[in-house]
Amino acid sequence: MLKISSSSLISIANKLLIIFLIAKGLSLVALWYLPNDGVELNLQKNYQPLYQRVDFKNMLINQDKTSQQSTIKIQDTSMSNMILKGLYGTKTKGFIIIAMKSNSKKTSIIGIGELYQGFKLIKIKPKSAVFIKDSKKYILELKKIKKGSIITKIKPKVLKEKLTKPILISKTEIANYVANPTQMWKEISISEVKNGKKLKGFKVNSIVKNSRFATLGLKKGDIIIKANNIALKSYNDVMSIYNNISKLKILQIVLLRENKEKELIYEID
Amino acid sequence: MVKKILIFFIYLIFFITSIIYFMPKVNLYYFLEHKLKPSSVIISMEEVEDKGLNLEIQNAKVFFKSIESAEISKINLSIFLIFNKLNAKNITLSSITKSFIPTKIDNIDVVMSVLNPLNAHIYATGEFGKAYGVYNIIDKSLKVKLTPSNIMKTKYKKTLMGLKKSENGEYEYVKNF
Repeated sequence: MLKISSSSLISIANKLLIIFLIAKGLSLVALWYLPNDGVELNLQKNYQPLYQRVDFKNMLINQDKTSQQSTIKIQDTSMSNMILKGLYGTKTKGFIIIAMKSNSKKTSIIGIGELYQGFKLIKIKPKSAVFIKDSKKYILELKKIKKGSIITKIKPKVLKEKLTKPILISKTEIANYVANPTQMWKEISISEVKNGKKLKGFKVNSIVKNSRFATLGLKKGDIIIKANNIALKSYNDVMSIYNNISKLKILQIVLLRENKEKELIYEID
Repeated sequence: MVKKILIFFIYLIFFITSIIYFMPKVNLYYFLEHKLKPSSVIISMEEVEDKGLNLEIQNAKVFFKSIESAEISKINLSIFLIFNKLNAKNITLSSITKSFIPTKIDNIDVVMSVLNPLNAHIYATGEFGKAYGVYNIIDKSLKVKLTPSNIMKTKYKKTLMGLKKSENGEYEYVKNF
């Protein structure tokens, strides 16, 4: 019968136990110094509305005059139902007090950028408020009459927007550049621009003369900051555009040129 | 004397096995993730499991500069101190790379051992063919020799043109970090 109390066996068991405890102790020390959490990617979702381009000019040309008038009339009517009771603020900050004529006692306070009956308040002037709806601007004025009361006067002032003329690009051209990106980088050189640690956009360092990129309206020194309303603040933002480029019909980019924003529109056919 | 040496080695093996078993492998993996972060490499959405003597990572997505660059079905990390091996299976590269290289990689092995502690040996197979590489820790240089597949030879000629061709038909890629 094996003697459990054999001194050599106990000695081996003791040594193994000590080794075991040392190993456990070392692992606990390592556990103390090592991080408890890994690194997960936190992609900040871009909550900007997707870029949509509507050519109102063409839409209006295709319609006959009668329909144009009726459309405007409907919009005027909805605006004419409003009373501007008061305003406070500067061009870009402030609020107005507005009500519907049908229930003039029920007033609403609207800040710049907020919607009221589908009209977006964009500016406050000394005696009027400027709204926008469907790319058309409307001015709702405060007007004092003899007795000192206030009435409103509507000026359906449609301001002509300076639309950037789209530059045409064929889908085949894009497909060729996607299949052969080295060709693209031969024609244009782009580098990231950072504001501290944060990505600000992508700078056009050079464009080869007489190349396709030279005809796209870009200039050396331009900093591309947005594409289809998506601020390019990470490579992921760029990839979200790049991965869907074959599905796009319009590509809008906003760039900084001489510290001024400029918009370029590309029509992909 | 021989008996004493034998007993010493038995104790040593027992100690190493205990260390490997108790080593907080998941936390060690997190440490590696933190080390990779400054290089803009993030492994995300993975399931990490300590298997006792090795670490298993499943369904990992690899992001480089916030761009999803690869998806790896299974990574097996075996750290035996004197022999360390990382095995990655079923790797699908992001579609943005398909213009340079086939996106499917079947297997990658990275091996480091005490016999050659300054070099990590890399073996890879996939749609691109076969590759063998050495990463030198001191020089921070990577040398890869590629034996291209037929797909690589026919569809990715431009990529191969960017590599140095040797006399035996292999292509060499050298990168210093």
